[in-house]
Amino acid sequence: MPTDSLHTVKSYEQELDRMRAMMARMGGIVESQVAQAVAAVTEHDEDAAQAAPAQDPQVDLLERDVEALAIRLLALRSPMAGDLREIVAALKITGDLERIGDYAASIARRSQRFDLADRQISLSGLRSMGRLVQENLRRVIDAVTQQDDDRALEVWQADREVDEYYTAMFRELVTYMMEDPRNISPCTHLLFIAKNFERIGDHTTNIAERVYYAVTGDNLPAVRPRGGLSNGEDVVSR
Amino acid sequence: MSEALQDPSFPPQNIDAPEAALAVRGLDFYYGEKQALKSINMDFRKQSVTAMIGPSGCGKSTLLRIFNRMYDLYPGQKATGSVLFDGANILDPSLDLNTLRSRIGMVFQKPTPFPMSIYDNIAFGVRLHEKLSRSELDGRVEDALTRVALWKEVRDRLKEPATGMSGGQQQRLCIARSIATKPEVLLLDEPTSALDPISTARIEELLDELKQDFTIAIVTHNMQQAARCADQVGFFYLGSLIEMDSADRMFTNPRQKQTQDYITGRFG
Repeated sequence: MPTDSLHTVKSYEQELDRMRAMMARMGGIVESQVAQAVAAVTEHDEDAAQAAPAQDPQVDLLERDVEALAIRLLALRSPMAGDLREIVAALKITGDLERIGDYAASIARRSQRFDLADRQISLSGLRSMGRLVQENLRRVIDAVTQQDDDRALEVWQADREVDEYYTAMFRELVTYMMEDPRNISPCTHLLFIAKNFERIGDHTTNIAERVYYAVTGDNLPAVRPRGGLSNGEDVVSR
Repeated sequence: MSEALQDPSFPPQNIDAPEAALAVRGLDFYYGEKQALKSINMDFRKQSVTAMIGPSGCGKSTLLRIFNRMYDLYPGQKATGSVLFDGANILDPSLDLNTLRSRIGMVFQKPTPFPMSIYDNIAFGVRLHEKLSRSELDGRVEDALTRVALWKEVRDRLKEPATGMSGGQQQRLCIARSIATKPEVLLLDEPTSALDPISTARIEELLDELKQDFTIAIVTHNMQQAARCADQVGFFYLGSLIEMDSADRMFTNPRQKQTQDYITGRFG
């Protein structure tokens, strides 16, 4: 239950604000890492490919800082109800953000390890998938900073589309590989990249679940709507 | 079984909810003109701890004092509605108060040992309600002191004055005194607010054990204490019961905004 009242103890309010500010900052950096990953893959942007991994240490540091502050709040303030849920959610959300940052860095690094010159491989699917993942992440970070359960729910439902993209990508890339064995090397890299985008989508969904719980006190259903067969096994066996 | 429990003035009938030891229904209370409690409906379940929380003056201690008719001592104080206890209405003026108070024990904020020996502090109330042989009485005293984890500390100085004990020991003695008459309900009005953390922890641990046998109602200003000890928690504000639920629910996800603001420290 959101509340607009302030704590009687001002320093408690300030510490919570500080935690929220660190989360927002961490969210902003991770968002830019994912944007850089998308640019690195789809535009072959070398600067972006280097920038995404370079931001990793900063994200790791923020994760540790949020964790330390959350532990301090738990120990010294004995938070209750909405405050308790927000702090516990913050602990978990930073974990998800850190993983997203890792995936983005991994995508950016991998984008430099293959060459699509004179290969007839379209990146339009991956581009759309990357943009969707990026957009969902942006919206979920807004949901975190504004404690907006409606937006969290929208993002949670939107991951179905990411799964569908992944399944489509899987089929497309396997098709390229079957057409020409010289496609195998780059397409394997692209497959990993698609998988990493899909994993970013999953962590984004986790964050949406945490925000929803922190704001409402209720859990979203254990099973979320899934699109496609996101492991793609069926495609291989056919 | 004690004579008190066999008292015919408490016919066990018509109890409102089977698992409720105390069922408060439409209770209003007035200090003269001022209404201190407004149509309270609340159940105190058997063998569990119910905590009442809320800011000063919200009516939580008033409610506790109604349960053993303390307000009878003061003219101008008036309760209407009903509090069902074992089928009888506690507010019924014809009710025998001595029997009521032997079945509903009370422990106060500050330890209130009688100016007599440790032994007699416990034996005093028992002697009022029961005729026991010396050895039975000794057994009852030992049992009560053991249950509050005081026996080992005081077994060798039972004849010494209770006022020589530490604050924490005195409070445990008062709890022992209350349970020695074998009440069904134990009322505690901020029982640890004058105690150090270790004595507080001992009493909280004690509550956990005592609830196997008693229905416990506790008023506390310490939110963490309510969270630690209570099974159910009721939040009072300005004489009304705003919300009542399991301690789990109240402290992680209360339904009312007022409750949320109070327990998270955002009040006023």
